[in-house]
Amino acid sequence: MPRALLPIVISLLSYGFWLSDAFRGIAAGVSIFLFGMLSLEQGFKAFTGGVLERILQKTTDTSWKSFGFGFLSATLMQSSGLVSVITVSFLSAGLLDLVAGIGIIFGSNLGTTTGAWLIAGLGLKVNIATYAMPLLVFGVLCIFQNGKQLKGIGYILTGLGFLLLGIHYMKDSFEHVESTINLAHYSMSGIKGLLIYTVIGIIATVIMQSSHATLLLTITAVSVHQITYNNALALVIGANIGTTVTAIIASLGANIQGKRLAGSHLLINLCTGIIVLIFVKQFSMAVDIISAHLGISVADPTLKLAIFHSLFNAVGIVIFFPLINQQVLLLEKIFTEKRPTTFMPKYLDLSAMDFPETVVESVRLESIHLYENALHIILRTFGLDEHDLQQNDSLAQRLKHTGDAIEYDIDAAYEQRIKGLYSAIIAFISQAGFSWQMTQSAKLSWLREANKHVVEAIKDTKHLQKNWSRFRLSSNQATADEYHKIAYQIALHIKNIETFRHELESNELPLLSLDTLKASIKNDDLQMNRAIETLIREQKITPETGSSLINDSAYMRSIKKNLLKAAETLFLYGNNGATGVEHQLALNETEINDVIHSVDKR
Amino acid sequence: MKIEKLLHKLQAFFNTDNHKKRQHIEELKKILLKLKKKELKITHALQQADQDCLIKHYQTELEIIRAQRKKGIEVLHQLKPPKT
Repeated sequence: MPRALLPIVISLLSYGFWLSDAFRGIAAGVSIFLFGMLSLEQGFKAFTGGVLERILQKTTDTSWKSFGFGFLSATLMQSSGLVSVITVSFLSAGLLDLVAGIGIIFGSNLGTTTGAWLIAGLGLKVNIATYAMPLLVFGVLCIFQNGKQLKGIGYILTGLGFLLLGIHYMKDSFEHVESTINLAHYSMSGIKGLLIYTVIGIIATVIMQSSHATLLLTITAVSVHQITYNNALALVIGANIGTTVTAIIASLGANIQGKRLAGSHLLINLCTGIIVLIFVKQFSMAVDIISAHLGISVADPTLKLAIFHSLFNAVGIVIFFPLINQQVLLLEKIFTEKRPTTFMPKYLDLSAMDFPETVVESVRLESIHLYENALHIILRTFGLDEHDLQQNDSLAQRLKHTGDAIEYDIDAAYEQRIKGLYSAIIAFISQAGFSWQMTQSAKLSWLREANKHVVEAIKDTKHLQKNWSRFRLSSNQATADEYHKIAYQIALHIKNIETFRHELESNELPLLSLDTLKASIKNDDLQMNRAIETLIREQKITPETGSSLINDSAYMRSIKKNLLKAAETLFLYGNNGATGVEHQLALNETEINDVIHSVDKR
Repeated sequence: MKIEKLLHKLQAFFNTDNHKKRQHIEELKKILLKLKKKELKITHALQQADQDCLIKHYQTELEIIRAQRKKGIEVLHQLKPPKT
């Protein structure tokens, strides 16, 4: 949902809550239901790469096995909605493919018809809501245990508990709605009656979130002759279409595969419904013939309704089950995955392969492209952008305004801005295949290393982001200040490298001037660790926070070092900017340390 | 005349190392001079600085340049033949 719409939705919901208690209950039910979905998904993820995949693989490796799995689960759970919800979460967790998912949906469609037999034949109905409380208790108990799998079971149980509780809340809130639907007053005949009652069946099931509830209502009404048998048939068709809403709601929080499955559920049930509506007379006759064979009295419309429910679902399976692959293709067309636009290489051209110097220059320029993308990611992590580096205000001031910045998704940014480029550069270098005697081979090797440093810097930023997000708004001012200092020093370092890069032409001693930046990395690290020790000693921060700060200052140092190493290769060596004599005078790490300590002693 | 030219070429060939060495020394001297100029510039900036962080920054930069110059002078001594 677009963020701009959020205040409007919240206002509308708040108004609805004030207006109606039932609406509050329904909304709470939907929320609990969706939360259950999330919990279920998290639970299943704990089993990925293990037992669950093997079980699912064995029970859903063919369409017929998937069908059997769906049929059994829906019969046991007495809810095709719940089975489709679980299947959506399986798909979202990547445990199933869409073909297997659709197979399960077909199975659950038939499995759920056993409910009508139970209602009509035995007058029994499994009240799934009663299982919610023990499931929640056992689930939470498992979540608090050690061990990934136990926690996973805990999340699955609480997820199921919340799903059932959500349905229970929805049903409860609609109790008075259910009581107001007096079907006897609206008995209709002909096509008009058929269509209107189908729509009523859909609406009632959508509202009550259960085709069983609609079936119960219909079978009861038809048994006391409140509605005609033909109207009851239409209600059953409507209930079968309306039950797909459970999967649709579940798919709101699922990925594209989940949405495709929900779409498939709707497609199958809707098409079956339309076919049955067209041939309702023939179906009715078939039900009479089957009833006569089974010894069911013509005067018992309840059991005939159960036969009708099973029959038309079976017909739907016969028609659409062989078309699973075509359905998958159609659904993939309807629900297209929106991939983020990834950055493509700008300078790598295979036609340059015969010209070693051109290859090196192409790789250098592409590596600079990668480096610039990395700077963007690092700056955005701290709520800044490239533009901020050029502003006259101090960086510290700019960082203060990033207090409410939303956590930047580094993983997504890496996929979008780095991964493709990095892979393309590595592939291009590998294809170059110069002999190692050639100067260009050495340069390509340096450039490969430079790219590695860039990627390392992003990885370090990701590690740092966890605590930066956690502590930058800490109520402990000293902690928040230190984390702002870390962000500030990284941004300042990037600014200094950028200044160095842009003043390269006028810099008479480029390589030697980098020693100052190397020294500042060492010096900042020294000062930071000293400040942390003082804060711990003065009890302004806890030793635990102190240890986090020490780790994070190490990430800061690593980010700076990696960026500087990459910049040195990309802007100096690659550009032939430094002379051999300069190399002789450049300070090594020990010499830089000596300088830092001599300045520090003053 | 031709023999004289040939002798010159031979002398130049055998003195390639010396020539390279001289070139190296010249380059080194140029860099040391640039470093000296940079040192003076930073010393001046240090005298003008009034903020602690700037003073610290210039002090570090100055010490870096001095260490680089010291290293350069040592290299220069190694390259120059001892005066007899």
